[in-house]
Amino acid sequence: MDYHTGLAIAAPIAIGMAAIGSGLGLGKAVGSAMEAMGRQPEAIAKIQVGMMIGAAFIEALTIYALLAFLLVMGDIAG
Amino acid sequence: MTQKKMTTTFNYDFIQRTLRTTGIVVLFLSVIGLYYFPPYDILAFLTAGVWSIINMLFLSALVRTVLRPDNIDKMSAMVLMMVKFPLLYATAYFIFTTELFRPIPIVVGISMILIVMVLKAFSRVMLGLDETNQDEQEIQSNHKNQLRSVA
Repeated sequence: MDYHTGLAIAAPIAIGMAAIGSGLGLGKAVGSAMEAMGRQPEAIAKIQVGMMIGAAFIEALTIYALLAFLLVMGDIAG
Repeated sequence: MTQKKMTTTFNYDFIQRTLRTTGIVVLFLSVIGLYYFPPYDILAFLTAGVWSIINMLFLSALVRTVLRPDNIDKMSAMVLMMVKFPLLYATAYFIFTTELFRPIPIVVGISMILIVMVLKAFSRVMLGLDETNQDEQEIQSNHKNQLRSVA
């Protein structure tokens, strides 16, 4: 297996793992936020803002993974 | 004597201030950077910065509309989702794949909002702004309780 073939196999798997990780993280964050809102309805504003910040960070990590994939895509094409 | 508690009071205003500060920082760094970096790098930085601000704006609107236990405005939620997911992400794909922009300025531009957010939160904790608010609230509530007991 040469370098380009290895990269062509590894890069999609890596970005897929990043997407799965982000999805799981975001799902857990949203689930916990909804649970917290149900328990403390008076703290909805604080929970939502925390949720926004967390979601922004998780989304940014996925975008970094996508950018890294686009960077190595040039190498895959050879 | 009131016991001091360290709390972080993030409210919707925090997001608005973060977006405003990020806009100012991105514009300021773009003007400064024009003297040191190629124009296309600055354009990539500016585009990515503006994209991240718009993305955060839609994200916060979406969270406020959808993630609540009751009174969900379904029409607004649908409109926000339709704008954020296909349109905004298609724009991001165009920014990433265009030959004009290098990836590093794009990454820096996207990261600016996160940097501003972390620094703002860190400075609030370091300056004890929320701690002061908590104490003021406690003093005010104690004062009200005293007034009630007198009345």
